[in-house]
Amino acid sequence: MLKALVALIPSVGLVLLLACGGSAEPTVAAPVATSAPAATKIQLKPTKAIEATTAPVKPASSSGILQGVTLAKIDIKDAIIEDGGPMKGTLTIAQHFGLSPKWVDPQDHIEALTMQHYDFLIHDAMFKNMPQGLMTYSLAEHAEVAADWTKAGFRLRPGLKFHDGSPLTTEDVAYTYKNYRGVQAKYFHDILDDSRADGGIEVVDDLTIIYHFNRTVLDFLYSYNGAGTGIGWIVPSDYYEKVGPEGFKKAPIGAGPFKFISQDPGATMEFDAWGDYWRRKPGVAHITVRGIRDGSARLAGLKTGELDLAYGVSTAALLPQVVDDPNLRWDPNFTYPWLLFFPNWEDPASPFNKKEVRQAVSLAINRRFAVETETMGIGIPSGDWTAPIYPDSVELPVPEYNPEKAKQLLADAGYPDGFEIDGLVPFVPYFSQGERYLADLAEIGIRGKLVTMEGPSYRAARGKGRDGYEGNSTILHSISGVPGVATHTIRIFATCDSPSSFICTPEIEELWKKWQSGATWEERNAVSAQLQKIIIENYYAVPIFWNPFVHAIGPRVLPEGDGFHKYWDTDQAPYPYPWEVWEVKP
Amino acid sequence: MGRFIVTRGFQSLITLWLLVTIIFVAVRITGDPADMMAESRGDEAYKAQLRKNWGLDQPLHIQYAKYIFNLLQGDMGHSFEKSLAVRDIYLARLPNSIKLGIAGFLISIVLGIPLGMLSAMKVNTQWDNLGKIFALLGLSVPNFFVGLLLIILFAVGLGWLPAIGKGDSFFDWQHLIMPAFSLGWYFSGSMVRITRSSMLDVLGTEYIKLARLKGLPEWVVMAKHALKNAMIPVLTLAGLNLVIMVNVAIAIEVVFNWPGVGQLLFDGMSNRDFPMVQGIVLMSGVMIVILNFGIDILYAYVDPRIRLAK
Amino acid sequence: MAILAPEASSRPTVSLVGVYTWRFLREAPKIPLTILTVLVVLAVFAPWIAPHDKLKPVKPSAEDCIAWFGIEKCPYIDDRPPFWGKEVRTVSNPLGGIQRIKVKEGRFNVVLGTDYLGRDILSRLIYGARISLMVALTGTLAAGVIGTALGILAGYLGGWWDHIIMRITDAWLTLPTLVFAILLSSIAGPSIKNVIIILAVVFWSRYARLVRGEVLALRERDFIKLSEVTGVSTFRIIFRHLLPNVMNTVMVFFTLIVGVSIIIEANLSFLGVGVPPPEPAWGLMISQERESLMEGKWWLAVFPGICIALLVLSANMFGDWLRVKLDPQLKNR
Repeated sequence: MLKALVALIPSVGLVLLLACGGSAEPTVAAPVATSAPAATKIQLKPTKAIEATTAPVKPASSSGILQGVTLAKIDIKDAIIEDGGPMKGTLTIAQHFGLSPKWVDPQDHIEALTMQHYDFLIHDAMFKNMPQGLMTYSLAEHAEVAADWTKAGFRLRPGLKFHDGSPLTTEDVAYTYKNYRGVQAKYFHDILDDSRADGGIEVVDDLTIIYHFNRTVLDFLYSYNGAGTGIGWIVPSDYYEKVGPEGFKKAPIGAGPFKFISQDPGATMEFDAWGDYWRRKPGVAHITVRGIRDGSARLAGLKTGELDLAYGVSTAALLPQVVDDPNLRWDPNFTYPWLLFFPNWEDPASPFNKKEVRQAVSLAINRRFAVETETMGIGIPSGDWTAPIYPDSVELPVPEYNPEKAKQLLADAGYPDGFEIDGLVPFVPYFSQGERYLADLAEIGIRGKLVTMEGPSYRAARGKGRDGYEGNSTILHSISGVPGVATHTIRIFATCDSPSSFICTPEIEELWKKWQSGATWEERNAVSAQLQKIIIENYYAVPIFWNPFVHAIGPRVLPEGDGFHKYWDTDQAPYPYPWEVWEVKP
Repeated sequence: MGRFIVTRGFQSLITLWLLVTIIFVAVRITGDPADMMAESRGDEAYKAQLRKNWGLDQPLHIQYAKYIFNLLQGDMGHSFEKSLAVRDIYLARLPNSIKLGIAGFLISIVLGIPLGMLSAMKVNTQWDNLGKIFALLGLSVPNFFVGLLLIILFAVGLGWLPAIGKGDSFFDWQHLIMPAFSLGWYFSGSMVRITRSSMLDVLGTEYIKLARLKGLPEWVVMAKHALKNAMIPVLTLAGLNLVIMVNVAIAIEVVFNWPGVGQLLFDGMSNRDFPMVQGIVLMSGVMIVILNFGIDILYAYVDPRIRLAK
Repeated sequence: MAILAPEASSRPTVSLVGVYTWRFLREAPKIPLTILTVLVVLAVFAPWIAPHDKLKPVKPSAEDCIAWFGIEKCPYIDDRPPFWGKEVRTVSNPLGGIQRIKVKEGRFNVVLGTDYLGRDILSRLIYGARISLMVALTGTLAAGVIGTALGILAGYLGGWWDHIIMRITDAWLTLPTLVFAILLSSIAGPSIKNVIIILAVVFWSRYARLVRGEVLALRERDFIKLSEVTGVSTFRIIFRHLLPNVMNTVMVFFTLIVGVSIIIEANLSFLGVGVPPPEPAWGLMISQERESLMEGKWWLAVFPGICIALLVLSANMFGDWLRVKLDPQLKNR
């Protein structure tokens, strides 16, 4: 991303806010760039043409994979092959929790986006998210999908190898698919056309492979993508069979830019650059990843020069220490918007059953203030269901801050003196945010206490949806996202059948069915837009601000100056991969 | 003596069995690890598969029987979250913890015993108070806070010492010194206290008075007679402290990102990694039991009344 | 147990109890006793003593609003240094834009400054005394009751009682506190109540071991033997003879353990399973604000640190004195 664009972000956010915000929002003597263009938010982090259907049709190459079949329009960007190098120096990275050996085995892929950090180091996928776009050719150089989305064929680049020198062929690709045990494994195995003798996976030759499905699988490219689930990352079949899942986790081999050297389970992992990587020689010779739970420890490590890159230094206390340090640079790394949910609001006895009350909550939250104090003004007040990084995300106005109106709405709804709630459950460990919102809510008479949880308990409770919370007047503070399209998060939190559902209304359910039966992405995205609008305009969820999950880097990372932002260019990536482009001072 | 050892050994085994059982039940109350792992995106099929892989789909008594059976063969199971054998992960971390524990232990002794002796010899003087206050200060500040202050001062501020990790070589003292001090200072408090009181006990006895009457120099009385006899309770406590420092120095290990067993336990608890937690708790239990066993035998050897009484 | 809380009733009366209390107090070390008394008074009368609320922000004046944010009427709150402090920062919106100077000066109405939500540190410390003392005292007291009861049972009844209780005690001693802490917080969610339960659950085994040893020694003494021979009931022996005699040891141990329990409370907060925010427990304040320490906002973590140190120091010194004071009685009896 261009630095200029980054610099525009706050001013644009402010302009948006001033444009949409209410009169109660005081004029702040905060920086207002006078020449701020009236940009839309989509431009803040430009999506790199993920609109699959609007992209130009890729002409089927002379040696088409799917013979005699009408092809769907797909848009996968071409890889950029370059010399790279110089393979010098060590990059030390601080992960913000304990490491797991499981992360090096994509066959056991878990839900957490963190695992992609390690996929991108050791392994390579058929296609994956890169700076060019969410779908960029990687091991595959060409793909074709039947117009009815029942077949998908891929052709590998010739001459691919794994770290141990063995060739990477379609046998490995087929093995990886069949043997996959990680998240959504059942779905992937169910969609294959079992009636065929080959079980639905047709290995045409060493370079060509075709998947046959027993149904229309419109989502296939999103799921098979490296950023999707984990099934896309190719493991060496012979080696995997030989050492087994446990042996593989101890000494994984892949086709990615870095070779796994050693690990101290949970504490450190060491990687060496692999000069034979097909796309380019890596920039650094060595990468060390450390699992460092404590924020102060990560910051101390950065300040003493023991670390070059640290994640999660975005809490209100740590961030100023990064920003003020002339030796450190940082990237805002916007992820998703913070949302407030109202578990069990459907209960007629719940105060949040009334739309006015939910609206009052939205009006009571001082988003500008939260952004200023929690993120030093880096975050961007948001009125959207999800981040503007998806092809189907919809941009909605930032809700105003108007406690007077909120009080009025509460009185209209029959709560002139406010009411007591079961509590506000803050996202771990962002307790201070929760406390601020409670303070805001107390101003309009909604009183309650902070219900803090221990991290895993929070995640488990949220995973159970409305059943995870007792009573009918809890407010849940949450942030969440899935690579792909915005509708994936709608499916998780806003459809009746999802185990993590907080929203279940006939209107949404009907649209959701329509989305599922949509034949094209154009049709689907239109429905998705409607869905997002309904959720936000009915205040089923209250967005607060677009969260910057700030990553900081030390002085050794090249290039000096502002050019380092390029590392965060990869589309829909929570971490700054691909790793082969990183360079440090030796 | 032989019968005493057999009885104590048998008691130790029962203690360990109880410990294993308590922890086995306790971790299983904390929630379903499949829920944690799947979060919001995992479907039921995925969760069911995870539970099956981990053997959590079976009834509790079968899980328990299997666990005990495997344990008897020296197999502590596979970590849920880290996928590898608990024994391997634990043994990889243990040397780091032992290193930190021993360093902290030495610091607690070097600070604690001389100060305790000083306090006892100059009882009720300014020296006594000085010793007590220094030791009590260590007890009065949470050790993660001490650690953080040290990091701010010596690592970030002055740049003399590294802030995180254990360093590459085993003999790397620079990484060790701050966590060891934070740990040792805390435990030196109890060392000062017990050294002082057991020295006072010994100094009040007849044979010390006799030694003084004989006109022996004060330092000979101290070093040769008093110290030797006062050491048994001191070493008992020191041994127990050492086991604690090795096994549950969680906050210190987190602050300094020291890759020890304490962090592993914290990770394990946070991820509901049942086999990991069970393994670590069992191993620390084994250490304590062995230590107590050794101490008991030592006591019985020194004082025959004990073994007769039991 | 009257001896335990002398600081709560420090006014001498004409009654005999009062005379003994007075004599006791006169001999007690002055400094620790004063500190403990002050802390207890603060804890008991917190709502009347604290200048501000423990949870509600002290809103900045118009003057402050201009200095901090450049506007007259601000809905914003922020932290603020103690009354002698002055913090000058150049604030720029970090992604570029106009710089302004943000001056934060201490004010006398919030003597020790405020935290990031504008809450008065002094008031929170005073309320914190209440929470921290309550947690430490109830937790260790409960542990003491359970542990003493089991210790006496094991020591006096002997045989299978002894075996069963002591094996459980031994196993319990080796269980890390963190395991209990996460166990409880995962069942019921973090709460003050949990921390009290955790302390009780963790410490009873130490009392039990101590008391059992004491009882084993007492059992061999003549006055117990005599009672047994003359057919005094077990119940009576335990309550009339054993309990009063182990009480001294238990009380000394209690004063020492109170200090440890405060530190444990802080450690649990550090690991995210202690007293939940926004309650102003000292251990929680120190662990929550540790990230601000490097930022130079030392007052947020250091003041609660001083409070903890004072409490632990005085409890320990008091305990030391108590031990010396009670020890000869034990031996002379």
